[in-house]
Amino acid sequence: MSNFFQHVVIGLSSGGIYASLALALVLVYRATRVINFAQGEMAMFCTFIAWSLLDRGLPYWGAFFATLAIAFAGGVALERVVIRPLEGGPTLTIVMVTIGLLIGLNGAAFWIWGGEPKSFPSAFSTRTVHVGGVVFSVQDAGTIAVTLGAVVLLWLFFRYTKLGLAMRASAVNPEESRLVGVRVGWMLAFGWGLAAVLGAVSGMLAAPSLFLDPNLMRPVIIYAFAAAVLGGLDSPVGAVVGGLLLGVGLELLTTYVDALAGLQLPVALAIIVAVLLVRPAGLLGRPAVSRV
Amino acid sequence: MKRVFLVGMLPLAAVAVTAALAAGGAAAPSSDPGVSNSQVLIGGTAPLTGEAAAAGLTASGANAYFQWVNAHGGVKGRKIRYKVVDDGYDPAKTVQGTRQLVVQDHVFALFNSVGTSQNIAIRPYLNQVKVPQLFVASGWSGWGRDYRKYPFTMGFIPTYSAEGKIYARHILATRKNAKIAVLYQNDEYGREVLSGLRAGLGKRSRQIVAARGYDPSEPSVQSEVASLRSSNANTLMIFAFGTRAIQAFVTVKKLGWKPQIYVNAVSAATTTMRIASSTGQTEGAISIGFFKDPADPRWAKDKGYRLYRSIMKRFLPGKTVSNGYYMAGMAAACAMTQALRSAGRNLTRGGLMRAVTRLNFKDPFTLPGIRVKTTPTDRFPIQQAQLERWHKGRWHPFGRLLAAR
Amino acid sequence: MIGFALRALVFVGALALAAFLPTWLSTFRTYEFAYVGIYFIAILGLNILTGYTGQISLGQGAFMALGGYTTAILMADHGVKDVWTLPLAGLAAGVAGYLFGIPALRLRGPYLALATFAIAVSLPTLLLYDKLDRLTHGEEGINLFGIPESTASITPLRVLGHDLPFEKWIYYLTWTIAAALFLAAWLLLRGRTGRSFRAVRDSEVAAAVSGVHPAAYKTLAFGISAFYAGVAGGLYAMATTFVNPGTFPVALSLTLLVGAVASGLGSLWGLLAGAFLVEYLPTLAGKVSSQPGVASVVYGGILIALVVLLPDGAAGGLRRLARPLTSGRVFRS
Repeated sequence: MSNFFQHVVIGLSSGGIYASLALALVLVYRATRVINFAQGEMAMFCTFIAWSLLDRGLPYWGAFFATLAIAFAGGVALERVVIRPLEGGPTLTIVMVTIGLLIGLNGAAFWIWGGEPKSFPSAFSTRTVHVGGVVFSVQDAGTIAVTLGAVVLLWLFFRYTKLGLAMRASAVNPEESRLVGVRVGWMLAFGWGLAAVLGAVSGMLAAPSLFLDPNLMRPVIIYAFAAAVLGGLDSPVGAVVGGLLLGVGLELLTTYVDALAGLQLPVALAIIVAVLLVRPAGLLGRPAVSRV
Repeated sequence: MKRVFLVGMLPLAAVAVTAALAAGGAAAPSSDPGVSNSQVLIGGTAPLTGEAAAAGLTASGANAYFQWVNAHGGVKGRKIRYKVVDDGYDPAKTVQGTRQLVVQDHVFALFNSVGTSQNIAIRPYLNQVKVPQLFVASGWSGWGRDYRKYPFTMGFIPTYSAEGKIYARHILATRKNAKIAVLYQNDEYGREVLSGLRAGLGKRSRQIVAARGYDPSEPSVQSEVASLRSSNANTLMIFAFGTRAIQAFVTVKKLGWKPQIYVNAVSAATTTMRIASSTGQTEGAISIGFFKDPADPRWAKDKGYRLYRSIMKRFLPGKTVSNGYYMAGMAAACAMTQALRSAGRNLTRGGLMRAVTRLNFKDPFTLPGIRVKTTPTDRFPIQQAQLERWHKGRWHPFGRLLAAR
Repeated sequence: MIGFALRALVFVGALALAAFLPTWLSTFRTYEFAYVGIYFIAILGLNILTGYTGQISLGQGAFMALGGYTTAILMADHGVKDVWTLPLAGLAAGVAGYLFGIPALRLRGPYLALATFAIAVSLPTLLLYDKLDRLTHGEEGINLFGIPESTASITPLRVLGHDLPFEKWIYYLTWTIAAALFLAAWLLLRGRTGRSFRAVRDSEVAAAVSGVHPAAYKTLAFGISAFYAGVAGGLYAMATTFVNPGTFPVALSLTLLVGAVASGLGSLWGLLAGAFLVEYLPTLAGKVSSQPGVASVVYGGILIALVVLLPDGAAGGLRRLARPLTSGRVFRS
């Protein structure tokens, strides 16, 4: 029986990583209605920047926050320079741009840092806790805690700050927000910046256990998408719930259903497709109303 | 309308340019293709970009070695020119790139192309047009095994199944009733090491109590390792790559499991093991080696290592000397140079094949005692390996050199 | 009327050029141009789907894989001559596409992109599934070189007193099929179907009100597009003489979409430009530097530049997917 719980714990550990990246995806989508295929590569790239800073001797927290600042600036710059000109245009062009980013960032990481795996320190201790035959890792628990904390912070931010209100307004009703004096363009850029920060956090949470190479986030992004879709693409809480559910669900399915062993990815795909069909808003999202 | 016209000109222009480029081709030399008085042109495909780009570094290492040879007069007065085409590990690109090398660049031979399925894809073609496909960078046993059907093809490193057999024999010799769990990458490579293990265990292969394959599309292997743990095995085989191998070591430690670990050679580079050691259960792990590991301090005064280092310094300055892929490339390049030398001044493909099936020399980059040896009926150039144990941050060889067949 | 005659003349001219090209090109270039033809067919299909009915698909490569594997399995395991496998390859992919089109009806814009992206990413894993090994031959793949069902891969074909080596044979086969499929698409799109497609793209509600059933046309478009991809995939398998899960990576789907975007709507020249782009852009990007990763940076950069500078596609034909606010636009403005 402890074996079952061990798998649940492992599922939660993977789920925590999916949830943290899913949060970034959800934020971008909520703020700008864009599905950013490059979110994972952006996160990976920022993690490498953190690694470089650490390599140069910066203490962990110094590198951590410096990276967040860089991530924010990068996200804002990306939105203003690359996404902005395509605002109002066909969805296809935005999709193409994020794909271009995906390819380019992956190549850039290879070019700058090479393909050899690197270790990355954890903000949490590497201790493990044994409870009743099941092993928990402080690192994994920390990942989930940080992600939950981020959700709470986001919620507080959107609900109680002027900036948060402005961002929400810009996403929902740009025209009228402008009329009220909101700088909509900057709100969108801010959304990207914030999402980039969340992505960087996700990368730095994942790297200690997955180990850092340019393909760090390549497998994760699909699961993050599945988590975001499952939870609802416009719901931060949904992203976390979706991520944890997905992690545990996939883990149990592929471990205990023989026919599905080794098919984690196709199962995740099936979940994406199924959710989008049955309940596109996801578990916790709000159904979109289409005006005629 | 103008835009359409302009765009219309694009493909026409492209066609005109390429036609012009193609029309003027080099005159075919009088002897075999790729051979002139001053140089011999060989080619290969490798993943210079993309996910497997780490493996593409062998091509750089090999090229550096050839440049060193050229700086010392070349082979029988000819310089070796090595052209590498990037295939991004996509077999379809390997096919296109190889045809380009053969039909457009007129290479003398194919050398050290990387990848199992990649080389499987081009093997029938190359044998059909009788172009040597030499020192394939893959441990698949088919290269040496299928020589009757594909006489122009030859591998280089010990086969994956031979590696599996060596581990099996060691288990039987040291812990006869071991309960074995296997983590393997679910592809040609992983499956072949596993089948080698099974073959080596023979009747005792039911001692493999659990085997879990993983796909690189999963971010982590901790799930598979946890499943293997629940089988209560006391021996764990890690037949994985890159970050997955490291994760396996770490997960084993996390779970408080203490099996005897065997890790496949490709993932056993000192640099990788060091990373795994910081949070993983690496102490006592066993692997095999056949090349000198440039990150291992025991070679500091070794002639072969010094040659390696000087070549790296001169021809690949700024690159990571401790990366074993460069060493692997140089080892193969050394074999190629040896073969070209034996083939003589009058260089033909037939002559090259003759030379390549009669090799017997000591490669400076292989472990002491390991010779590169082939005969017309034995097409496995390296058939020896050394067992080694990871202890206190280094690999320590033990036992005799073993046959890796 | 003059417009039509001019375009017909241009088309015939292009055909003639294509017919005589191999006499001037080297064998290898002819071989590369065969791939251009393959991509031309795939992009043609993708254009019907994305350009005409506005359904974004990042999975065209997966449908090519279906076609490619169909061809390979039929040739290697069932003794079907290569050319005859092509309609079946197209059919297999087309049916799969049509079936996928049904649930896809419920997916809009970026969601559909996401779903098709997920398919492209997970197909190689599915192809490696051990329980399917007997059918797909797993990672070892299926070899098509030199087998009797393969034409000209070993001995050149003898046609009208001339020797036709493999490269030229595959070139002619590919471009003949490409021309035929182009004509078919042209006929289809200039008629009622084409108008219905565009009506559905511009406004599903308006289309429905006018008596055009969006569902029927959208799924039809998926089926047709996948059929084209399937044929392209079959030809791809024949040209490469080998298939395995690695021969249809995600990169292929992405590159095809890039080609489709660059080509614009249906213009012959635009599609050709797109096909050339798919074949040569990676190589050109690689020539910038042999350092690992640089090629991808260049490729990604060019892609972004292409989209930002030419949002309407190279042939000026990619119409804005104008849709009411709540269902598809990226931002309101």
